[in-house]
Amino acid sequence: MAVQQIHKKPVTVSSRFRKLGHSIVQNRWLYLLILPALVYLIIFNYLPMYGVQIAFKDYKAVRGIVGSPWTSMNGFKHFITFFQAYYFGRLIGNTLLLNVLGLLFSFPIPIFLAIVVNNIRGQRLKKFTQTAIYVPHFISTVVLAGILYILLSPTNGIINHLIVALGGKSIYFMNEAAWFRPVYIISGIWQNAGWDSILYIAALAGVDPELYEAATIDGANKWQKVRYIDLPHIIPTATMMLILNSGSLLSSSTQKALLLQTGGNLATSDIIGTYVYTMGLGSGQFSYTAAIGLFVNVVNFILVLSTNKISAKMNGETLF
Amino acid sequence: MTAISRKDMNPMKQKDIRADRLFNVFVGIMVALVLLITLYPIYLVIICSFSDAALVTSGQVTLYPRGLTLVGYNAVFQNRELIHSFFNSVVYTVVGTVISLIVTMGAAFTLSRKFPGKKLFSFVFAFTMFFNGGLIPTFLTVRDVGLYDKPLVCILMGCVSVWNVMLARTYITSTIPEALYEAADLDGASQIQYFIRIVIPLSGTIIAVLSVYYGVAKWNDYWTGLIYIQTRSFLPLQTILKEILASLEASRELLMSMVSDTAAQDAELLNRAQIAKYCIIVVSTAPAVVLYLCMQKFFVKGVMIGSIKG
Repeated sequence: MAVQQIHKKPVTVSSRFRKLGHSIVQNRWLYLLILPALVYLIIFNYLPMYGVQIAFKDYKAVRGIVGSPWTSMNGFKHFITFFQAYYFGRLIGNTLLLNVLGLLFSFPIPIFLAIVVNNIRGQRLKKFTQTAIYVPHFISTVVLAGILYILLSPTNGIINHLIVALGGKSIYFMNEAAWFRPVYIISGIWQNAGWDSILYIAALAGVDPELYEAATIDGANKWQKVRYIDLPHIIPTATMMLILNSGSLLSSSTQKALLLQTGGNLATSDIIGTYVYTMGLGSGQFSYTAAIGLFVNVVNFILVLSTNKISAKMNGETLF
Repeated sequence: MTAISRKDMNPMKQKDIRADRLFNVFVGIMVALVLLITLYPIYLVIICSFSDAALVTSGQVTLYPRGLTLVGYNAVFQNRELIHSFFNSVVYTVVGTVISLIVTMGAAFTLSRKFPGKKLFSFVFAFTMFFNGGLIPTFLTVRDVGLYDKPLVCILMGCVSVWNVMLARTYITSTIPEALYEAADLDGASQIQYFIRIVIPLSGTIIAVLSVYYGVAKWNDYWTGLIYIQTRSFLPLQTILKEILASLEASRELLMSMVSDTAAQDAELLNRAQIAKYCIIVVSTAPAVVLYLCMQKFFVKGVMIGSIKG
């Protein structure tokens, strides 16, 4: 670059290319360092996106993704079949209800936790509480499901022992449709509320201590400090999270739902993700379930884009 | 004048002191409740794993272990398939995490610099966070590239999380001053030398956080094994656990898979299988939780930086 400045060459197309070429050579290590990640994304993300075309085709194993023939109805046969299927409403309804109820009940709890943690006076107790509430996040989904099956067992689970001891009747939690959503949502709160509070705890740690001092001088009590200092500092983060979360209302946590799904609770636990898994990989209906997956992904993509727009308008914060 | 204002202030203050005390009591009760709800289930599983099977299944073990025994753990450690899959998971996790760290830090460093095509690369990375091919096309692609039913798929799947790349990039741009790069450049260091000698040594915190994120995700992953592995001896621990723990018929499955002495009664065996489940939970969860507890001092800082928008 220095050399070029001395000679003051006129900027022509070829010199611009030479400059770019030179810059690329100069930065060759950067390209090399990003290459492995790029290769990973191409294989595990972009090739599957290319493979999405089977949603518009009738997949034949011998002919592969590219060679399989296009379906009728301009390639939209599978989509139309899905929209007209009798279980379409049930799948969409179950998925939406699970996510909306989940969001509704689990959203406020991390905020509450953050305020409680922030107001613990002993530093050691504060540290201990913080460490403890993150622990469930590190338990695997399988183990969480396992714990649920054990503790909620109708014959020897501790919860039912308690219910019976109190004079109630034992409940078969894991095999009743009415209990799937509560079990799913409450266990989700137990596992993730602590971890999700990190963001809010971080927001509260950023509050200027002088604000509290000023409030004390003005005669505010602790309830008022929470109401007029803590909450306003959390609200921007909270709206951001709420908007982001509502961008994924149709994408369900298939991995957990699948583990909690039993013959008895299918009426509520049958969601899009588990359906795609069982029909796609279980029964080999690749094209049909790929179409369902694509439909969900497109809806999610639109939701994320629009919620991102809303968030940009509301507080100038965007994701991308 | 002074008398009046003092009269005005005193009741106010008293009320505030009372309100503050009430607040402290409220916080105290809430902390106790939160800790109880969070930790009791974990504690219960641990004490049950050491207790007599019949006492546990009849709900008599609630506060401390009763009828101390290691039968459950014995059964777990005698289950060859379980132990084998445990070691599979150790290998997948260790190798996978090391690869993840190298690949992630490399990409994060590159994205923290200025170079031709940076915008394009950033877009290619970010786009994957918002759109993906979905389960079935991903499955078919993995099969087509020849990774289906290969242990390698358990190592590679999820080894780059774009979210973590962004986190590491934010860390690098916000904690390592540009002056260091200029100094290294003046001394004739190449970009790779700068990356290895300066960026990596200064990124201890984020590397610790990333190793927990990647390590725990890998250790806890049952999905990859379920979808992409057919040969049982390749299965990771969590996929085996799914069969043992997470279904209504689970105890019978375990019963059959366990080596049992023929003299024992069926009920006794069933109870023992139940206890073995508690033990399996403890054994399989301990590595992830211990890793977290060892690294947790890095978390506050690492997560704080992650919350700053990069």
